[in-house]
Amino acid sequence: MFYTLTDVNATATAVRPLPELLESLRAKGLRRGVGPMVGEAVATPSPSNRGAIPSGFSALDEALRTGGWPRGSLALLDAPRGTGATSLAIRSLAASQEAGGIVAWIDAAGCLDAAAAERLGIQLEWLLVVRPTSALEAIELAGWLARSGLVDALALDLGESPDPAGGERHPGLVVGLDRLGQLLVRGRSVALLLTGEWLRAAVARVAAVRLALEREAWLAVDRDLVGQRIRATVTRHRWALAGETASLDLWFGEGRRIDALLPPLAVPREAAPALLPVAAIAEAEPEEQPGLRVLSA
Amino acid sequence: MTRILALVWPTLRAAPHDGHGSHRAPDEAADANPVVDVPAMLDRLDDLSPRVEAVDRGVALVDVTGLGPSLGDERRIAARAVALVREVATLPVRAGVGENRWLAVLAARLALTARPDPSVPVAFHAFPAALEATRAVLATLPLALLPADPETRQRFALFGLTAMGELAALPRSAVGAQFGANGERLQALARGEDPRPLAPRRRPEPLIRRVTFEPPVEGLGGTGLVLRRACAELCDALRLRHLAPGRATLNLDLEDAPALTVELTFPEPALEPDWIARLLIGRMEAASRTRHLHATSSEGEEEPRVVAIGLAFDRLSDPAARQLPAFQVQAGRWEELRWSLERLATRFGEGRLWRARTERPNASLPERQARLQSVGREDQP
Repeated sequence: MFYTLTDVNATATAVRPLPELLESLRAKGLRRGVGPMVGEAVATPSPSNRGAIPSGFSALDEALRTGGWPRGSLALLDAPRGTGATSLAIRSLAASQEAGGIVAWIDAAGCLDAAAAERLGIQLEWLLVVRPTSALEAIELAGWLARSGLVDALALDLGESPDPAGGERHPGLVVGLDRLGQLLVRGRSVALLLTGEWLRAAVARVAAVRLALEREAWLAVDRDLVGQRIRATVTRHRWALAGETASLDLWFGEGRRIDALLPPLAVPREAAPALLPVAAIAEAEPEEQPGLRVLSA
Repeated sequence: MTRILALVWPTLRAAPHDGHGSHRAPDEAADANPVVDVPAMLDRLDDLSPRVEAVDRGVALVDVTGLGPSLGDERRIAARAVALVREVATLPVRAGVGENRWLAVLAARLALTARPDPSVPVAFHAFPAALEATRAVLATLPLALLPADPETRQRFALFGLTAMGELAALPRSAVGAQFGANGERLQALARGEDPRPLAPRRRPEPLIRRVTFEPPVEGLGGTGLVLRRACAELCDALRLRHLAPGRATLNLDLEDAPALTVELTFPEPALEPDWIARLLIGRMEAASRTRHLHATSSEGEEEPRVVAIGLAFDRLSDPAARQLPAFQVQAGRWEELRWSLERLATRFGEGRLWRARTERPNASLPERQARLQSVGREDQP
């Protein structure tokens, strides 16, 4: 079956088979379901015309297809507890600082460990820590910072538990998130949002990028766990094709010199199920005990 | 030939002074010693010479080169300077004159031990203008007068060096090999050489604009436009002089109410009239709201009318003197960001914005390894 369409870059009309045409359009980063009009020029999303902030992992930058977190986006790190969302956010902020940026951590949860962040590469000198009193105020403060255009990347940690001021049902939260998305576009900043189940559905509606994190394996040296391998799947992307995955190794290192020796020594070990019953964990084989340790932590 | 007059008063610290202080502003020096009004003393010395430097809280340097024909010899100039200082505070001021700042301060210190001259009612000592004659005097002085740390002092003693002349006579390369760059600097001082020039202070002069309303304006909202215009006028005047303010003070005269004063210290010297006006209006409204709440809760009064506003810019400095952003990208952007943070602090209140600092990286508990400091108060312990 043949269709007659105009290629966006070709000057002459060409007749091309449909699969080939679709493949070429996908390569240009078109969204699914929104095809180009006949004769319409298609803007290719790329770091050159949109700009991106590196995530700190080249594999993830490639999976995002924009060379990193696209500027002006609200990105949701959709991850169960303990699957490296905070570590990924810290690495992303550190990479942004290395590129000459100023970053902010909006700590509504009140659990930022600055010393650990520094060990993971954050320069505390150029990190602004914001301590809001509620999730609503955190979103509002993030909007103010985004509007200034001087903060390149900010992590918005809204905590795992619902806000006592009203939780997800608070009408200001959804409105505030919508407004935050607009201000991020205006200020060309990136916001990485960390939250629990209580707000994830509301954020997912406004997030431009959604990244699902899932533990793929533990990384161990002998019987010692030294890290975890995370599968990051781009489940939503406003400016590029979604569906790409990347495998990220997150180390539990503390910045010591010996940590550099871990990657060649570590052996991936299959991850224990996240919701394994306690009894099952207790009866598990000794080889599975690393999973037990982490779950108990 | 340069002649520098050093004035030393009792706040001089016990350790030897080399005529180069900690570059503290005169305001800070005044804060450190509330009894002595150092800025007022320096203002008086401006009448003597336009080149006055406040070295530290106990030392001031005055360039007296070429003042002889009009004011007399150096003794008379020193007596006049001391008299000017004593108009502000009756302190036992000692005076010394030398070719450079080191020699001037050293002469002032020696004036303490020198027998006072009955013809001049101040402790005064001067080194001769000829360098060879000065070196001859210096050679007999003890090494303890040099601004050396105790360790270097001890090493001098181990080498058997007790007088400045002995140190000055050594080859410079040998001193550098034994005592490093600091030793070479001390040897230059022992030889009476000091290349550091006098850095005259800029006389602080506040810029004031006052606007009177006739009839008085209802509420604070009506003053916003006038305030913006006043900020713009003052900034334009300062821009022509290549200066920028470090602090703005807004004073509102209210009808049948005490005056309202709002002070705003800028993160850096700035010539941004729009930002300055916005921040002042924000603080003015916050202060007025607080006072209004107190008033309504007790007496039920209405918001008073504004009779006049006065806007003053001070702490003037050169805005082009900041070069750090040229070398570190984030430094310049952070200074810009601090303006936004000022507004955030006004909007959301204190205690929201922090910067983290590593304190004890090897502490066992994570909360002890780093601590948070409120933005804008990083210098405070």
